[in-house]
Amino acid sequence: MLNYLVRRVLVMIPTLLVISALIFVIIQLPEGDYLTTYIAELESQGESVSKEKIAFLRQQYGLDKSLPEQYFTWLFGMFQGDFGYSFEYDLPVSDVVGDRLLLSFVVSFATILFTWVVAFPIGVYSATHQYSWADHGLTFIGFLGLATPNFLLALVLLYIANIYFGTSIGGLMDPQYVAQPMSFGKFVSVLEHLWVPVLVIGTSGTAGMIRRLRANLLDELQKQYVVTGRAKGLPRMRLLVKYPLRMALNPFVADIGNLLPQVISGAAIVSVVLSLPTTGPMMLTALRSQDMYLAGSFLMFLSMLTVVGMFLSDLALAVLDPRIRLQGGTRR
Amino acid sequence: MKRLGARAGVLLLCGVIAAGPGSGEAQATGYTGSPSLVGPVARGELPLVDARLPENPAMVKLSAQGKLPGRHGGTLRLLMGRTKDVRLMVVYGYARLVGYDESYQIRPDILERIDVVDDKEFTLHLRRGHRWSDGRPFTSEDFRYYWEDTANNPDLSPFGAPNILMVNGKPPTVEIIDDVTVRYRWDAPNPFFLPKLAGTRPLFIYSPAHYLKQFHAKYADARMLAEHVEKAGVRNWAALHNRMDRPYKNNNPDLPSLQPWVNSTRGPSEHFVFVRNSFFHRVDENGLQLPYIDTVVMNIAAGKLIAAKTGAGESDLQARHLSFSDYTFLKKGERRSDNRVHLWQTTKGSHIALYPNMNAEDDAWRKLIRDVRFRRALSMAIDRHELNQVIYYGLATEGNNSVHERSPLYRAEYRKRWAHFDLRAANALLDDMGLTRRDRDGIRQLPDGRAMVVVVETAGEDTEQTDVLELIHDSWLDLGIKLFSKPMQREVFRNRVFAGKTLFAVWGGLENGVPTADMSPRELAPTNQQHLQWPKWGQYFQTKGKTGEAVDMPAPKELLALSNEWVRAPNQKAREAIWHRMLATHADQVYTLGLIAGVPQPVVVNRHLRNVPEKGVYNWEPGAHFGFYRPDTFWFDNAKPIDTQQARR
Repeated sequence: MLNYLVRRVLVMIPTLLVISALIFVIIQLPEGDYLTTYIAELESQGESVSKEKIAFLRQQYGLDKSLPEQYFTWLFGMFQGDFGYSFEYDLPVSDVVGDRLLLSFVVSFATILFTWVVAFPIGVYSATHQYSWADHGLTFIGFLGLATPNFLLALVLLYIANIYFGTSIGGLMDPQYVAQPMSFGKFVSVLEHLWVPVLVIGTSGTAGMIRRLRANLLDELQKQYVVTGRAKGLPRMRLLVKYPLRMALNPFVADIGNLLPQVISGAAIVSVVLSLPTTGPMMLTALRSQDMYLAGSFLMFLSMLTVVGMFLSDLALAVLDPRIRLQGGTRR
Repeated sequence: MKRLGARAGVLLLCGVIAAGPGSGEAQATGYTGSPSLVGPVARGELPLVDARLPENPAMVKLSAQGKLPGRHGGTLRLLMGRTKDVRLMVVYGYARLVGYDESYQIRPDILERIDVVDDKEFTLHLRRGHRWSDGRPFTSEDFRYYWEDTANNPDLSPFGAPNILMVNGKPPTVEIIDDVTVRYRWDAPNPFFLPKLAGTRPLFIYSPAHYLKQFHAKYADARMLAEHVEKAGVRNWAALHNRMDRPYKNNNPDLPSLQPWVNSTRGPSEHFVFVRNSFFHRVDENGLQLPYIDTVVMNIAAGKLIAAKTGAGESDLQARHLSFSDYTFLKKGERRSDNRVHLWQTTKGSHIALYPNMNAEDDAWRKLIRDVRFRRALSMAIDRHELNQVIYYGLATEGNNSVHERSPLYRAEYRKRWAHFDLRAANALLDDMGLTRRDRDGIRQLPDGRAMVVVVETAGEDTEQTDVLELIHDSWLDLGIKLFSKPMQREVFRNRVFAGKTLFAVWGGLENGVPTADMSPRELAPTNQQHLQWPKWGQYFQTKGKTGEAVDMPAPKELLALSNEWVRAPNQKAREAIWHRMLATHADQVYTLGLIAGVPQPVVVNRHLRNVPEKGVYNWEPGAHFGFYRPDTFWFDNAKPIDTQQARR
């Protein structure tokens, strides 16, 4: 097992290196660089920039160096915790991302919590009461959640929240709290705003989760050991929780690998629509304006989380399900 | 300085405030500061209002401009799409050495006086006693520092002084005459100098020397400077200095400023607070120091949400990120918020214009595009009236890409020539060119047998352009030309136009639709790569012949010559004559196909915010959006004066 762990960790390093090279190349693929985007924006407003100034800026931002040189500067910087410089914000990348990370975590964890709290009981209920009215009704609602485009739901909820509850549109708190330290008022304001994104981002995930849990559980419920257990006289609830439900949990655990990166990039589009101060919209604008170090660092961070998340979910699966365990004898 | 630190006056001062509700501190000289500053003044953190103002402040006669003198106080909320938009406070603030007044004449503002001799010699007289927002004196030293230590420092400006300061490749002689007098002199006229100083994005020929010297290798202690550089994580001291010295970007809260409101928030943030510059140099006719409004708060939200937020009353003054299509929604918002929606004029030469590329790579097409009959036929085959009715509720002006009625250079023929809808005449023109062969679908054929299928490329940022093109598609089909529109990413779009791969491009029309004869007519001549109708000629001009192609057609050549002649023109009359010749050529030659102009810009204003005109002009250059109307003179009629009794204790 230890051997396995070490091997998995070591494999991560070359994976990440390859990813970093790919990220850098892909960001460089579109024509131009940050400065061309910047100049285009200025000029669309009727401002103009002289050629000399552009060359000067290019030199100051280090964009005049060759691509490999830029890549290795970035790569070695990352080893030392220096993620480069964001052109758009005119600040080191770490300063730019800092504040937003916390709020991203808040939104994502609230969403995950919401998803699980809602999906779990409903999924179990639907499976155990298959083809009942309640099952049909909940399935119907689930499909609605799955089929409604997120951004549309976001706009509708924003409108309702604004008209009926007077919540300010977009963002995660009322504007006057933004620059303030945490207080009770701020906390309430965050809660007032949080439900919209949580609901919007959560719906499709919840619906999906309900369906998967229901299907898995249905598979298990048909099996012999359940019948045996029932025949043996095990209490209903105990039987359900102890055996088939445990088996049906695998997809939840396998999902952890995807959850981690989602915490950062999760629902970028919804966040843009709702104007959330999270990392998703920031990554999107960074990619669009070719703010390469900011975008690159984001993508790098995402890939790191994906790799780590996969590792963790593999481990958890192994703990949970003896069939998956990789031990001495199983190796060919 | 003389009246500075007159602590004895504080008590007296508070007495006066308590007596006059709504008025701030008052003095024998009759100047009044904002009540919000009474506290700092009483604590001795700020000098009295008399000492904060220059000896001879800029007096704004509001009644004479049809505005109401107001009172201090209140917070103005704005919405912006990106963190970078903090620079718009320099635009809205619009404190310039010289600035445009309401009739587009350049008048001194920060300067007390400016003496101009033949556009060659400019003597700038500062206001004695004028101070930066941190209270340090603003003197000719700040001009010397800019010219000698910034603009001509090889590390800070490796490419020398800005182009606009060069006349025939030669820099000006800059003389510092005394504390408050600076002279710029060239051998030949520089008519661009003053407009640039008055510009929306102005040229700053002064910088706060007392602040910046700590980042300048010539003045700063080497060890301290190295520490600063290290801390900021930049390459060298020059990069650090440049980063600190960004009066336009406005992202350094420590940089002293002369604007009415000063940034107090260090980014990144979603919430920027701008506080009043207590040393601002303007006063109203009652002696109240401007700006009236104490604080400006700028909230950053996604651009697409700004219309919704504005409609819900989350902004007090908003035009940015609102477009005409939001008008009905915003109007509905009037009912549930304190907002009023006005429609302001926009003054681009044309809201949307088609640019046939005279430098197109394709030989057959280029030949056609260069034939004026072809361009005229295309222009006459556009039903501008229909466009106006269908997309702009008939509120816009139909016609060419030319100057507006507000401009003294306006003539109806410039807007109307070849812009009436006449398919018969248009078809006749094309037949006359020998393009008579048509295929089975009725599409005309090029001389080499290809069908006349035009791809019009757009930067694809909104659907409006595609909607407009869809309508043009129908009428061009009657001309025997098939139109496709192709949206693409903006940089790709521009590069394709520059390279001549694009036949037709869509973009806004002339930037300045309200020029006076004293403004440069360069936009009408092939002088810039950004002119999508002749990018290669423009590039040739800009790079002084290193890249691009020389102009090889008589009419554009003449335009170029006229534009050069304008620079040397001895007086306004001559300049006006040149303008008219260029405008006439443009209208007759149809270099750009203007469609619709004066599409109204919705401006949402809080009901309590006074002095914002109902009918205004919304333009970038000249105009500075709201800056033209001097937001420092806007005031809230419901602003509560700060409790001055508190300050007394």
